[in-house]
Amino acid sequence: MTTTLAGGRAARRQTMRRIRPRRSPAVPLVVALWAGAAAVLWLWWDNTPSLADNTAKILAAGRITGLLAGYLMALVVLQMARVPALERRVGSDRVARWHAMSGRYTVCLVVAHVFLTMWAYALQSGRTLGDVVQQTIDSVNTLPDMGKAAIGTGLLFVIAFISVGGIRRRVPYDTWYHVHLLTYAAVFLTFWHQITTGNEFAVEPTAKTFWYGLYGAVTALVLWYRVITPIRLNLRHRMYVEAVIEETPGIVSVLIGGRKLHRMGAEAGHFFRWRFKAPGMRFSSHPYSLSAAPRPDMLRITVKAIGDHTSRLRELKPGTKVWAEGPYGALTAQRRSRGKVLLVAGGVGITPMRALFETLPGASGDITLLYRANSTQDLALWDELSAIADERGARLMYAVNSPDGERPDISAERLRQKLPDIDQHDVFLCGPPGFAQSVYEALRGAGVPARRIHHESFEM
Amino acid sequence: MRKSHPIRRFVLAGAATVSGIVLLLSLKPATDPGSAQAAGGAAPPVAASPQGGAQAAGSGTVTGDAARTQYGAVQVRLTVADGRITKAEAVQAPKGGQSDQVTANAVPKLNQAAVAAQSADIDAVSGATYTSAGYKQSLQSAIDKANAAAGAGQGSQESGGQGPGAAQARTVTGAVAQTQYGPVQVRVTVSGGKITKAEAVKAPSGGQSTTVTADAVPKLNQAAVAAGSADIDAVSGATYTSAGYKESLQSALDQAGG
Repeated sequence: MTTTLAGGRAARRQTMRRIRPRRSPAVPLVVALWAGAAAVLWLWWDNTPSLADNTAKILAAGRITGLLAGYLMALVVLQMARVPALERRVGSDRVARWHAMSGRYTVCLVVAHVFLTMWAYALQSGRTLGDVVQQTIDSVNTLPDMGKAAIGTGLLFVIAFISVGGIRRRVPYDTWYHVHLLTYAAVFLTFWHQITTGNEFAVEPTAKTFWYGLYGAVTALVLWYRVITPIRLNLRHRMYVEAVIEETPGIVSVLIGGRKLHRMGAEAGHFFRWRFKAPGMRFSSHPYSLSAAPRPDMLRITVKAIGDHTSRLRELKPGTKVWAEGPYGALTAQRRSRGKVLLVAGGVGITPMRALFETLPGASGDITLLYRANSTQDLALWDELSAIADERGARLMYAVNSPDGERPDISAERLRQKLPDIDQHDVFLCGPPGFAQSVYEALRGAGVPARRIHHESFEM
Repeated sequence: MRKSHPIRRFVLAGAATVSGIVLLLSLKPATDPGSAQAAGGAAPPVAASPQGGAQAAGSGTVTGDAARTQYGAVQVRLTVADGRITKAEAVQAPKGGQSDQVTANAVPKLNQAAVAAQSADIDAVSGATYTSAGYKQSLQSAIDKANAAAGAGQGSQESGGQGPGAAQARTVTGAVAQTQYGPVQVRVTVSGGKITKAEAVKAPSGGQSTTVTADAVPKLNQAAVAAGSADIDAVSGATYTSAGYKESLQSALDQAGG
């Protein structure tokens, strides 16, 4: 067993591919989202001929916020359904940011909906704004499916609370993840009151069909891509830990064996969500990028041991069963639009860059890798990278702190000095958030257009 | 990678949502353009009088146009016999949320009023202003259609339908109404269009419910006979039982009336 995974046949085949940039479907998807929102507002508009007084207006505002919240709730779930078009074309990171954004907005709409509707009901039954709480209790007791809706809304608030920035960082990832799964219960519980008490749906059968269709489609996608697809994938490929290798102090590679792994559709730059069937790691999955192009009998991930989970990876026994979901991610060769490519890696961000460095199609001199680490000892996978550079005629540069701890200069001028035609490059960037931000700014300063800087960030 | 400004985004999204909703609300007229038109359109006077007016309507059923209200559509169907409205019913009425309660309360009253008045000139039920207005609008449309049909001589002449008044003394049992303490079911004896007896065949029991039922049900029975309708007050301390009682009573009366 060697640590070097360079030179596989699959990798070589990938280097022969033509450059064929694929446009991200983000824009049409966002247009569809707005069109759907307009259709939902139309439901209300069409069903409401007039608003006589303030009570009617408050009630109408409650209905509009409720309809929009119901619509967005379906989309928030859809965004986490791991639909390949979203994960691989738009990018998992971008979709996750959409999810966080629309989730927050939806919770705000739910708060507005509950408050406005109960206020209007209180006014209708001759009470005042001060009786909103009593009115809420009465409505929950008397109206159909409102008990379920109240429980579901409570769950939503718990989920929203635990996802708020400050609290999110203090809660262990596993706890947060499992609480987050309650969203499915919350969506299920709140769905029924929309149909039974929602004026638009109680009256208009077409609207009801539309709503059932929306939620039905989302449910089908979730079942297919989050349940059935991973089961099929893992039954087919039966992955297990082949070996764990210490690359540098604190960075380990896990070699994963299995059947016909080249048939998983994975490319350099993709990541999988991994779950190792070892004590303490069974119940949560973590995303790690492939650090080499997949081979028929082997995949490799390379991970920096910083958290609970990553430290435990070191103790994995060969033969441990592995459950993987994927491939996900859009930081692949499909993003590329030019012949020349600069790869910039910071620390353990080398993993997807290492795989791309080997497989990106390009003639001698087309591909450059800039590798930033704290010291030369921390340059994980360096031997492999040198071997690939020699074989492909690619350029390999590193930037480390000087012995007295001074940071290397990665500025616009310095980049242009090293790569005079940098503005003709596609740039793939992967590293910790602060590093990525500063490199992004330097690249923009050096004349690389934003659309050619390809970056994956899981910062919300 | 562009810098994100969470606070700015939050404020912008909030402001955009609020102004969008306010804009939508302000674009809606204060009164229904449809009903205003119908009201201003000088509707021809009402159905044939009982004494047989110039235009005697025929027999059969006519359904008025659906009238839209801000809580939903209202549509009235009339059964007409020999130029008289013998029965009025709402085939569509607002549903959802509080509208269910309002409809359950108002529509039977409006039905009765329509039969009693033999015209669309009926009082609105308080607490159901919009539903009443929509009801009157659709009722007027149904009456117009009945008149038109009679004028064209299309009505097949069939004498006397089974109006509510024609019902003999009989006992009907309402549908079971579910309350959170258990089911309530009411049986009424109707004679000559009046309730002569009301009793609960099912009522919540067990725990405190037994006491509550023992107290409330006799009062509700009395109230039903006295009111001759389901429009009775709830017994205090037995809100849910009262509501269930009224619901089942209404169902029994509907059956007796139909």
